Amino acid sequence: MKIGQPPQHFVDINLERCNGCVLCMKVCPMKAIRVTKDEKAHILGTCIDCGSCISVCPRNAIESKTSISIQSLKSRYTIVTVSPVIYTQFGDEVMPNEVITVLREFYDQVYDQAYIHELYNLATEIYIIERRNDPKTKWPLISPICPVVNRLIYHRFPALLPQFLPFLTPGEILAREVKKKALEKTIFKPEEIGVYQITPCSAKLINIKQPLFENSSFLDGVIGINEIFGKVKRKIGKITEDAVYHYSGGIGIGWARSGGEIEGLEGVRSLAVSGIKETIKYLERIELGLLEGVEYIEFRACGEGCIGGPLAVVDKYEAKRTTERLVRMFGINKRVKFGYVKKLYENGFFNAGINPENFSKPNVANLKASLERAKEIYGLWEFLPQKDCGACGSPDCMTFAEDVIDGLQTPDRCAILNMRR
Amino acid sequence: MYEGSEGCHNSPLFSRAYFIKARDFQSAGKASIHIKGLLKELGYAQSIVRKTAICAYEAEMNVVMYGSDGQLTLTIYPTFICLKIKDHGPGIEDVELAMQEGYSTAPPEYREMGFGAGMGLPNMKKNSDWMEIISGPDQGTLVHMDFFLDNIP
Repeated sequence: MKIGQPPQHFVDINLERCNGCVLCMKVCPMKAIRVTKDEKAHILGTCIDCGSCISVCPRNAIESKTSISIQSLKSRYTIVTVSPVIYTQFGDEVMPNEVITVLREFYDQVYDQAYIHELYNLATEIYIIERRNDPKTKWPLISPICPVVNRLIYHRFPALLPQFLPFLTPGEILAREVKKKALEKTIFKPEEIGVYQITPCSAKLINIKQPLFENSSFLDGVIGINEIFGKVKRKIGKITEDAVYHYSGGIGIGWARSGGEIEGLEGVRSLAVSGIKETIKYLERIELGLLEGVEYIEFRACGEGCIGGPLAVVDKYEAKRTTERLVRMFGINKRVKFGYVKKLYENGFFNAGINPENFSKPNVANLKASLERAKEIYGLWEFLPQKDCGACGSPDCMTFAEDVIDGLQTPDRCAILNMRR
Repeated sequence: MYEGSEGCHNSPLFSRAYFIKARDFQSAGKASIHIKGLLKELGYAQSIVRKTAICAYEAEMNVVMYGSDGQLTLTIYPTFICLKIKDHGPGIEDVELAMQEGYSTAPPEYREMGFGAGMGLPNMKKNSDWMEIISGPDQGTLVHMDFFLDNIP
C-alpha cells in the first residue's frame, strides 16, 4: 500500500467541541490544519499524526482514533505486545514483571518488547560496521522507529528516504514472531489470532494501516496506554504469580525515553533528537550536509521520546525519572549474545521488505507552472499584512496566499485587510 | 566569455531577497533553509537544490560571522539560478588568498564554535558553476554565484 494516497490520518476533530480558535492550526508542523468558513478546524491529508495539536487544544476537541478498547477486540486469541513505556507509568516501585502479570489477566498472551530492542541494537551495530567503509552509504543512518518522523521525511525530506536503516521496527518483528509461535503452538486459525500493541503512540495505527516499509503490518491494532491504565493500576500488587515474563535489561527498557536507542549502540557515533521542532531542525541540517561525523541518528517526534506520547498517562518528566531508575536497576549490560544476533541478522530477521513505491517519489512538478504559481503566491504575499495572525483560517500569510492561489481561500477572508479598508 | 547573469539575455522568472543579521547565530541558516524548501517545492532536481542551499548557507554564515547586516538575493532564470550576497562589512583584502583552502581570518572564539576552518569560500566555489567575488578593504563584499540547470523548463 502506498502511504499518503489515499491520505489517512488518525487524529480527529470533534466538531461539536471545536470553537474555531486557531491554536491547533498554529502549532501544526505540517501546516495541515485549516479553520474553514464553518469556523471549525479541519485536518488536511498531509497530517503526519504527530499529536502536537492534541495537547494544545483548550477544549479537548482533538482526539486520537488510534486506540481499540478491550471490549471491541474481536479476535478469539488475543496477544498483546508491550512497549516499555507502560513500565514507567506506575511509579518506580512497580516492576515490569508485575505489569505484565496484571496484563495477563486481560489478554491470552503478553509479550515484552524491550527484549527485541536489545537484539535490534546489536543488529544495528552489525549493519553499521558492515557499511562503515562503503563509500556508497550516506551518513547518518536514520532510525526508522518513530512513525511520525517516517512520515515527516516522506512528505518533506524525500531525499533522505534512502538513509533509513532498512529494518522492521521492533514492534513489527515481535508481532511477526509471536504470531508465528501462536500458529505453531495453538489450535487457532490465522484469522482468529489478533496481535495488538500497547503503546503511548497516537501515530502507531498509521504505521499499521499504511506502513512505510512493508506492504502490510504484522500487527492487527493498537491499544493506548490511557485505555488500560485504570484497569491495570487497580490490580497491581493484588496478583501474585511466581513467573518471569520480563527478560530484558536496562537498555531495552531505556528505549522508552529519548536517547535510549543510541544508548545501546556501542562504538557508534550517534545522536538522539526528540521533539518535532528539533527533529525538523536536524533534518534540515542533514539535508544541507551539516551533520558531519554522525553515523546514526535517533529521532523521536515526541519531546523526551516515547514517554511523551499523547496516549501516555503519566507526565513525561515523571516517566523519565522512573525510566532512569529502571535502567539503573536492570543495568546497561548487553543480555543478548553476539553470535545469536549475527545469525538472526544473516537470516533476514530484521530486514524490512522495502516497498519501492514509497521510496521513489516521482518528481512530476512542472517547473514552469510551479514557478508561475510561486510568483503569484509571493506577489499576493507582498500585498498581505504579514502578521501571521491566523484569523483567516490559514496558519500564516504565506500559506494563506498559497491557499488563495489554490482556490481554498478567498482574499476577503483576511481580517486585517478588511479592518484597514 | 560567460559573464554571469548580467550579461545574459534571460529575464528573471522569480526573485526573492532575504535579510541577514550579523552575529545572529541563532537564526543563521534560516535564509538557506527557506531557499532549500522553496526550490524543493518548485520541483528542482535534488542535486541543484543541494548545491544552491549549501552555497547559500556558507555565504550566509560568512555574513553572520564577518560582515555587517547584509542581504541575500535568490533569482531564478530560465536556465540558471543566481545567488547574490551583499554586505557592508570590512571586505576581503586579498580575494585570491581567501579562496585558498584552510585560509581563515576567524578569531579563536569562532573556531571554538566549529567555524573558521577556511573551507567556506572554497566550498562555495566547488558547489557553484560560476562564482565571482567583488570586495576590497572597507568596501563590503558582494558574492555572486550561478547554478546552471541541466533540464531547462
